[in-house]
Amino acid sequence: MAVVVETKELMQTVVASLIAGVGVTVVFSIAIWGVARFADLSRNERPLAAGAAATLAGLALAVTLAAVVFGIVIMTRK
Amino acid sequence: MSSDVILVIVVGTALAFDFTNGFHDTANVVATSISTGAARPQVAIGIAALLNFVGAFISISVAATVANDVVNADVITPTIVFAGLIGAIAWNLATWYFGLPSSSSHALIGGVVGSAVAAVGFDAVLADGLVGKVLIPAVVAPILAFLVAGIAIGLIYRVVGGQRPGTVTRGFRYGQIISGGLLALAHGTNDAQKTMGVITLALVANGTLGANADPPLWVIVSAAAAIALGTYSGGWRIIRTTGTRIIKMDAAQGFAAQGAGSAVILASTHFGFPLSTTHVINGGVMGAGAGKRLSAVRWGVAGNIIVAWLLTLPTAAAIGGATYGVTRIFGTGALGPVLVTLMALSLIAAAFARRSQRGAPVPAS
Repeated sequence: MAVVVETKELMQTVVASLIAGVGVTVVFSIAIWGVARFADLSRNERPLAAGAAATLAGLALAVTLAAVVFGIVIMTRK
Repeated sequence: MSSDVILVIVVGTALAFDFTNGFHDTANVVATSISTGAARPQVAIGIAALLNFVGAFISISVAATVANDVVNADVITPTIVFAGLIGAIAWNLATWYFGLPSSSSHALIGGVVGSAVAAVGFDAVLADGLVGKVLIPAVVAPILAFLVAGIAIGLIYRVVGGQRPGTVTRGFRYGQIISGGLLALAHGTNDAQKTMGVITLALVANGTLGANADPPLWVIVSAAAAIALGTYSGGWRIIRTTGTRIIKMDAAQGFAAQGAGSAVILASTHFGFPLSTTHVINGGVMGAGAGKRLSAVRWGVAGNIIVAWLLTLPTAAAIGGATYGVTRIFGTGALGPVLVTLMALSLIAAAFARRSQRGAPVPAS
């Protein structure tokens, strides 16, 4: 039965799905948090904190886009 | 001459199935983007159609998976493939009629298994492949997507809670365009290939292609075009169910459902554990609703969807088997498939005519 079910692939899929699915969505929400904080802090004339929020948003967005590119690479190599 | 007529009918039926696959399954992919207002309906459908077309060209490595892994390819004839396709199309149209998202891949597998059993007996079925590559993934896919989306939406609300709703909603709507695009691409890669595989199998069974041949270019192009056209036609009834009837969705939930769905499908693709796009995205939608609060999910609608999933394989198999039986009443020539095709076309025309006036597009909220 273990051969039929392919337990190893199943467990790998579960773990990778949890890490990637939760990870990417949370990282993207951090990007949105950064953008929202940047807007608020800019309005309150706190340029240093606003810059830090923008940097965090940029980094989070870059990680999200990298994950999307990685996903497309996975599809092309299937 | 007779076998060539059957082959032409099989190719036409396979492309018709691909068309139903496009408007049936891809509805799931774009539903959340439309219902949260991330994209206007025609734009979302247009992008999904384009990405389905592109996705069909990305890889051909899984093109014959459906037939090779669940039935013994040596016993397959074009008439068996034809009957299986009719079973799958019938189930797709029935579930579309009632607005229920169900797996086109499972309908195709069920149809082919049913017609093969009717023609050859249970020896035609590869039980290990059916259990390992169809039944187990069918259970795992929605549960996994439910968990991932549920955990994701809980964390998302913690991260963005307290921020300006306008900025947050706009941000997640942009995110949905990307996650929806990724889902559409994955769908085109997976599902168009299944039709390519079926047509290739029929060409091999007819002796037109040699054994283990790759799909010819015209098969790839026509399958890609059929699924893209089906997608562009839009399965509004299923879009309404997935996008608005399971949960009343905000942009963050839509993104969590699509993001979780993309991650689960790509992870399963990477590790060689195939999962249904339909099961994944609907599991994700339920998870994104339940992650906010359990009562946010309309469990009655969710229950109907799950019942449809449970019925997909046996019902498509029964129709496939019955169709094979009907075709054999008229002998082994082309007359049976011709008559069944005419009957099927009449029923499809009637179903579309009846529903075309009721299937108004879902307004973007």
